[in-house]
Amino acid sequence: MSVVFRIEAPYRGAYELHRLTFGTGAGPTVAIVAGMHGNELNGMHAVNLLAGALRVVRPRGTVHLFPLVNTFGADEARKRWPFDDHDINKAFPGDPDGTVVERIAHALLDHTDAEVCVDVHSGAPHVRELPQVRVPMSGEELALGRAMGLPVVWRRPGERLGGTGLLGAWRAAGRKALHVVAGRGITLDTGHSRTTADGLNRLLAHLGMGHSVGPPATVADVTRGEVDTHRADHGGFFVPEVRVGARVEPGHLLGYVQAPIGGDRLGEVRAKRSGVVMTVRAWPMVHAQELLVRVAGVEAG
Amino acid sequence: MPELKSIIEVELPSGDVTAVMRQRFGTGAGPRVAIVAGIRGDAPEGIRVAHAVMRFLEEHESQLGGTVDVYPCANPLAAHRSSRLWPFFDVDLNRLFPGRAGGHPPDRVAHALCEDVRGADQVLELRGARAAFREAPQALVRHRDAEAAARAAHTNVSVVWRRRPGPAAATTFAHQFPGSIVLEGGTGNRLTAGVGRDLADGVLNLLSTLGVVGEADLPFHWAGVRRPVEVEDEQVLRVRAGRGGLFLPRGEAWAELEAGALLGTVVDPVTGELREEVRTPADAHVLAIRELPVVFPGTMVARVVTR
Repeated sequence: MSVVFRIEAPYRGAYELHRLTFGTGAGPTVAIVAGMHGNELNGMHAVNLLAGALRVVRPRGTVHLFPLVNTFGADEARKRWPFDDHDINKAFPGDPDGTVVERIAHALLDHTDAEVCVDVHSGAPHVRELPQVRVPMSGEELALGRAMGLPVVWRRPGERLGGTGLLGAWRAAGRKALHVVAGRGITLDTGHSRTTADGLNRLLAHLGMGHSVGPPATVADVTRGEVDTHRADHGGFFVPEVRVGARVEPGHLLGYVQAPIGGDRLGEVRAKRSGVVMTVRAWPMVHAQELLVRVAGVEAG
Repeated sequence: MPELKSIIEVELPSGDVTAVMRQRFGTGAGPRVAIVAGIRGDAPEGIRVAHAVMRFLEEHESQLGGTVDVYPCANPLAAHRSSRLWPFFDVDLNRLFPGRAGGHPPDRVAHALCEDVRGADQVLELRGARAAFREAPQALVRHRDAEAAARAAHTNVSVVWRRRPGPAAATTFAHQFPGSIVLEGGTGNRLTAGVGRDLADGVLNLLSTLGVVGEADLPFHWAGVRRPVEVEDEQVLRVRAGRGGLFLPRGEAWAELEAGALLGTVVDPVTGELREEVRTPADAHVLAIRELPVVFPGTMVARVVTR
């Protein structure tokens, strides 16, 4: 383990950005980042599971792991950098002479100089996500994302990947960038973490850097148009009737919104197509038009 | 009587409703001016200025030569808890414009606000100082917009900053409306004696130059209005702490300093021993100085305008 960046902190020990490096040196280089948001724990656990595997079987090439970027946020169960409430993932490409999050962003971009880069997140604290890789509509990143064999491959247009995020910065630097999301913020889901770690292992195997860990687990490979996003018609208290990963058919009751006081049922949410539930609202208090459930379309049978 | 209208109501999960309100003043003839405050919840100075302007407009409504729409608080839930961000979603409303009609509540508020303001001849955003800072009264306009800069010169501020758009500019409220002027000053998340009055006078003076308010009705003499300096990005320097610790500021906003003059010191938070003296890199006026003392290396402690 090495410290690739360090900056003094006013009231506690210095902030340190830790990197674990594995491999033989000759071959491809892969960088995997987790914990940029301090309240997203599944990615941290997945990357540490991968580290355990790489200690046993040294990969060909080089694998750089950053299991926890935002240590100060994690200490406080906060997504953002606690000092100034800034999101490190909105500070890229960063600035070596800038604010502390800009310096962290700059150091992270600088030390993830790899052919293939993966940024692992959890869902927001109020939603639960089936492990998924979000990739462009075509190209090598799509092939790499599919090689991970995660339950969902979500092909999306890249218009949101510019700006100030790590994925956009990687792509601007000519690196292949993959965005993985699994589970829910604030909570640790060991099953989703294991699934994510397996996906990372499959990626290394696909690149000829390691051994595969069994068949892919992909159940849906979809574009945005093939994902039904169900939103609340009413504000209220959402009670889900399905879990992520459930297979549903048209008409299947996905959940309902009831009055938070008294429990009168205000509306129901039913599946419009055959598919797999990939997102479920976890925090039940919802505003009108908020996301409740996403169903990734899959042919029946 | 001014017309009070809710431009959007947001139903909360508990069943409560929060609304973004607009007060319309005027007789219908002449230009329409939109004045928006409280896009972030940690800027009470802007809200206070909106209130002061509304009081004046109500007293003089029959003499107005135009229409003035005042939105005194665009982000009521954030203002309720004095936070910059819209609560629960934890998002900055000023990064969501022009918003989406079918999005989550902050998106819909951004969209509704843009739709309601659209068509105004002059858009004015009122802010406070940025959190943690004490700032001189200032007007921000787009870099290339000389006409807006000329109008902003009437807003009773110390400086008109013709600012180049940063990476996030496209999603800010002001960016949606060419010619818009942003006024800010005072202290982050606080009210500062005198600054609210100065900015309110600036808004009224601008309304006077636009022909909406009669010069004779102004509660001050035009000769007392500040004549600001106009600057571009190159003249505005950020001064950063080199060490972490507690920053202890010296001097006031808009103080005039020689190059090398002390802006403040960084001390060890445990022992109080000096770690660094932070000095101005050029002859300058202090545009903003940090009041919240905890700093990391690289934290901005002052912004100065070179002479």
